[in-house]
Amino acid sequence: MFVAKSIAADHKDLIHDVSYDFHGRRMATCSSDQSVKVWDKSDSGEWHCTASWKTHSGSVWRVTWAHPEFGQVLASCSFDRTAAVWEEIVGESNDKQRGLSHWIKRTTLVDSRTSVTDVKFAPKHMGLVLATCSADGVVRIYEAPDVMNLSQWSLQHEISCKLSCSCISWNPSSSRAHAPMIAVGSDDSNVTYTGKVQIYEYNENTRKYAKAETLMTVTDPVHDIAFAPNLGRSFHVLAIATKDVRIFKLVPLRRESSTSSGPTKFEVQLMAQFDSHNSQVWRVSWNITSTLLASSGDDGCVRLWKANYMDNWKCTGVLRGDGSPVNSSSVSAAGLNAAVPSGAQNSGMGAVSAGRKKTQLMPG
Amino acid sequence: MMSASKPDILWSPHHADRFVVCDSELSLYRIGPAGASEAKGGALQLSEETAATLLAVNSDTPYMKCVAWYPKSEPECLLAVGQANGRVVLTGLGQSHGSKGKDLTGKEFVPKHARQCNTLAWNPADSNWLAAGLDKHRADFSVLIWDVGGRHPPEAMQAEKPRLSGDADPCAAATKPLYELGQNDACLSLCWLPRDHPKLLLAGMHRNLAIFDLRNTSQKTFVNTKAVQGVAVDPHFPERVASFFEGQVAIWDLRRFEKPVFTLPEQAKPLTKAAWCPTRTGLLATLTRDANVVRLYDMQHAPAGPVGSDESEPTVIERGVQPGGDVVISSFAWHPSTQNRMVVVAPNRSMCDFTVFERVSLAWSSSTDLVWACGRHLYECAEDAGDVAAEKDVATKMRERARSRYGHDTVQVWRNHLLAGGNDPQIRSLWYTLHFMQQYTEETEQRQQGNKQSLIYSGIKNIVKSCSGTTESRRRWKGSERTADATQYHGEERGLALRLCGWIGRGPDVDVEPFLRSLEQEGEWERAASVALFNLDIRRSIQILQKGAQAEKGDPNLNVVAMALSGYTDEKNSLWREMCGSLRLQLKKPYLCSMFAFLTSEAGAYDGVLYESRVAVRDRVAFACMFLNDNQLSRYVDKLTDEMKEAGNLEGILLTGLTKDGVDLMESYVDHTGDVQTASFCMLRGSSPEVVKDARVQCWIENYRDLLDAWRFWHKRAEFDIHRSKLDPSSKPLAQVFVSCNFCGKSISFGCSAAPHQGRGFGQYGVGGSPAKSKVTSCPGCRKPLPRCALCLMNMGTPASSRAGAGKSDEKADLPREKKLAQFNNWFTWCHNCRHGGHAGHTLSWFRDHSECPVSACTCKCMQLDTTGNLVPSDNI
Repeated sequence: MFVAKSIAADHKDLIHDVSYDFHGRRMATCSSDQSVKVWDKSDSGEWHCTASWKTHSGSVWRVTWAHPEFGQVLASCSFDRTAAVWEEIVGESNDKQRGLSHWIKRTTLVDSRTSVTDVKFAPKHMGLVLATCSADGVVRIYEAPDVMNLSQWSLQHEISCKLSCSCISWNPSSSRAHAPMIAVGSDDSNVTYTGKVQIYEYNENTRKYAKAETLMTVTDPVHDIAFAPNLGRSFHVLAIATKDVRIFKLVPLRRESSTSSGPTKFEVQLMAQFDSHNSQVWRVSWNITSTLLASSGDDGCVRLWKANYMDNWKCTGVLRGDGSPVNSSSVSAAGLNAAVPSGAQNSGMGAVSAGRKKTQLMPG
Repeated sequence: MMSASKPDILWSPHHADRFVVCDSELSLYRIGPAGASEAKGGALQLSEETAATLLAVNSDTPYMKCVAWYPKSEPECLLAVGQANGRVVLTGLGQSHGSKGKDLTGKEFVPKHARQCNTLAWNPADSNWLAAGLDKHRADFSVLIWDVGGRHPPEAMQAEKPRLSGDADPCAAATKPLYELGQNDACLSLCWLPRDHPKLLLAGMHRNLAIFDLRNTSQKTFVNTKAVQGVAVDPHFPERVASFFEGQVAIWDLRRFEKPVFTLPEQAKPLTKAAWCPTRTGLLATLTRDANVVRLYDMQHAPAGPVGSDESEPTVIERGVQPGGDVVISSFAWHPSTQNRMVVVAPNRSMCDFTVFERVSLAWSSSTDLVWACGRHLYECAEDAGDVAAEKDVATKMRERARSRYGHDTVQVWRNHLLAGGNDPQIRSLWYTLHFMQQYTEETEQRQQGNKQSLIYSGIKNIVKSCSGTTESRRRWKGSERTADATQYHGEERGLALRLCGWIGRGPDVDVEPFLRSLEQEGEWERAASVALFNLDIRRSIQILQKGAQAEKGDPNLNVVAMALSGYTDEKNSLWREMCGSLRLQLKKPYLCSMFAFLTSEAGAYDGVLYESRVAVRDRVAFACMFLNDNQLSRYVDKLTDEMKEAGNLEGILLTGLTKDGVDLMESYVDHTGDVQTASFCMLRGSSPEVVKDARVQCWIENYRDLLDAWRFWHKRAEFDIHRSKLDPSSKPLAQVFVSCNFCGKSISFGCSAAPHQGRGFGQYGVGGSPAKSKVTSCPGCRKPLPRCALCLMNMGTPASSRAGAGKSDEKADLPREKKLAQFNNWFTWCHNCRHGGHAGHTLSWFRDHSECPVSACTCKCMQLDTTGNLVPSDNI
């Protein structure tokens, strides 16, 4: 059962991304108002904004946390063609009375000539590594060789994907059996270019990223992509937000000889495909055990998906974008158990609601 | 008549709850909450929350081509209607025949030559000005601007009166427009530029877009284009205009009018409407013919400022909303004030009220909280732990199990399944298996029979492989003189297998009775009955069934089963056999089914029991060990093992044991469930070192530790590490920190080779040392004194007074805790930034009230340096 409550966000324009830190006690949001806000969860479970600052000179598309062992570090990317790395510092300006902390810019990554559409830190076992992708179709991978000095980032790899990139996802697997891997999605609207998802794998011998797989069946623009937390599984799972939600399973084929170079070959299976959002799907996100997937789409709803033991996926909950429940017939079949609060639709965007709206959703 | 099949829709500019639907007539609706007490039978449901009530209908104006709502609030509900003959009529709707409305309502404006009126537009600044766009008529003007409030020359009115078609309309008709524009042309669409340019009119003419300046009517800016339909000015960027042609939308910048800034992707079908969202910047909604989708173009980041530099990147996000599912949409209208709200109307006049949500971005936290952002709002959605009915996610299960110390019961191993919640048959089977395996190991250790050791934890598959000295016997039915058909097999390994299956207990006697009694106690009547039957004790079996029928929660039908059972005969061709053989397939309960399968099957062919997948694996394997010969048994166990491995079924651990095979099975289980917790604890139970070293096992353990860390279950993680190091001593990390003497550079730890493990905290490091030794206040190497505590100024090594520094009321409340920490208070700690430090207790109490370092002139904010250090573990309840 899920209970939705609203948080007074106080951004002056659309929020484009929201991201939790490793422990789920901090949260960062970014917006078209060119700012990033950092939120801390109090012991009572309330979120308090502890920092808010202008980060870019354009809409901020994405914000993401580094693993806490590298300190309190954020990266953001923007329409202004840059990505930036931020670190929380303790200093004179720290205002504990008002509960505000201070974030300073450690570096600006200016290599892109177009809007930087996504930014993601690599899994921590790879060190402090950051990937960005941009509208001109280039994925850039940066590394901070000295984790104590976040102002030094070197551009290690540039992967040209030929198509405008909209999203990237690192494979989170820390198993030594799996080479570092990154998936890239393209939002190019020309459906004649097939293969809107490309997967690149690091080759230990050539020290380069090489294309390991292209998902040719994905022909529509891809808006988001997410590798599932691996959690010791022998295969990889990739969720894709395009005109529908798709879940792919990538099973590494066992190599004959470990010495053979070249990228890993995969058996690619389409595990599930849902068009319940009716139209474009914008975001997908996995929970920590990759047993629950959340997606959002142009139907204005957040949908939760869950697989049973037999890998049959089904919808276990639907929430409208404003937190109110949906009780259409399709949903009630999925086990929705909701009381309808009235007037939810009429709550204007202008009025920032600090009140609570409770919704009850029961995973069926 | 086009409009009959294509209803259009208009929101009132002043009343947030009123709109008009026009096709052949005008219908005024009021929208309100659905299910309100006043809701009458006539209310139309528009959405879950809203319904519309019909307020008024006006069918005075036939042949409507276009409608425009009077922009002033008084008179309300005044509309201008353009007709097929070019005539423009002002008409009112509903009750408001107020004083002010009277003189406007009913006015008519008639062009010189009759032709279709394509479009109407009220001037937003001067509400008396109404522009009408007409079809072409020779060299006549096609854009007429009427002054609705003006006084018309009486003679003009007289002249036109006879032309009014019979109906005795007393109102005035005007023929003299204020301005006449667009000579020798047709006008397809019109709009006024916003308030700061009250005199500028944008018109889509036959082959061009034109801007007429009413201050100087000879002045006309125009650009040749086909995109002349549906001109619409962005209310948020007055210079931005959209117009369309066929399936193509062009976006213009009026300051650089030569060519479109960009065009949107072409639609397959012709467009019928394009409208900017009045409540949000840069959102254009478009509709194509016969579509059920309203396409939205989010142009927030398209260049709204000066364009022309080739660096501009128009970022347009295309979206689509289907307000009515598969219902075709005829027209739509944005709500003038409520954010992103629109009403759409279908050709059959059914309507739908909905809000276009912004693109939602979302994220899961490590503790299964979901947060999403929609527009400028944030929502958090937490899993409600109080819910029992729903199947919990494995992440939630693992958290709960970690809390209940699942996996840590090393004495009564089977109890771990209770710690796991006690409702998962696979986990239950797993821990019972491990329990029996451990029991046997302990026993063999006591008997000092080293040679049996290798078989334990290696599963029944390996045990039956080494089967030797099997003896056959034809047993009798207990309490009966008859010999049973079934041949039973015995052997040392088979006995061991039965023990691992839990059928027989420890000791030399092979008595199944204790097992039966425990099953009876748990109310597993069918299972107990079938186990008794497989042990050829039919009376006991019947007795169990009868007991089950009488028990409180028992099933009375068991009596019937008992009766059926008592009729057993080994006569091959009896009716009993025949009927039981066929009817048993209809039994729902797997154990009853297998009982009759056993009784009716030929000797040696027990597929009905062996492949009844609903019967627990341990019972089937035990059965196989009793009734299959060596060859059959080994084949059956191999087959079952492969099946279990494929399915990742933990019951199969009984067969594989904790061997490589077991890792394969567990891999399959983890692939299916993600439950690395069970995998880690299971593999740490008693696996051989090679198995624990398996990369997969290590990977599960690391992943489980990461999960615990992410949940801030640090204490659980530490306990897990301790548990792990007991079973896998190689996992113990080395001491992490040493303190060296300032003078001689040697470590000051006493016997540092055995330095105690100090944990992994980043913020503070302690140097161990038992309290007895801590009296030493000098370096054991060079006898120079150790540094002083920054607070008490004693040399380190001096026990800290537990009362020091603190005081105040909170001291008392902390007393029990303070005691617990007393040893810790003596520890030596320091800030690794400014390198000042002292007794841990003193330092902690100092920072309770201060943020800066206690050393003079040091401004280091030692306690705030590490954010992770300030997080509290979530499992120290």
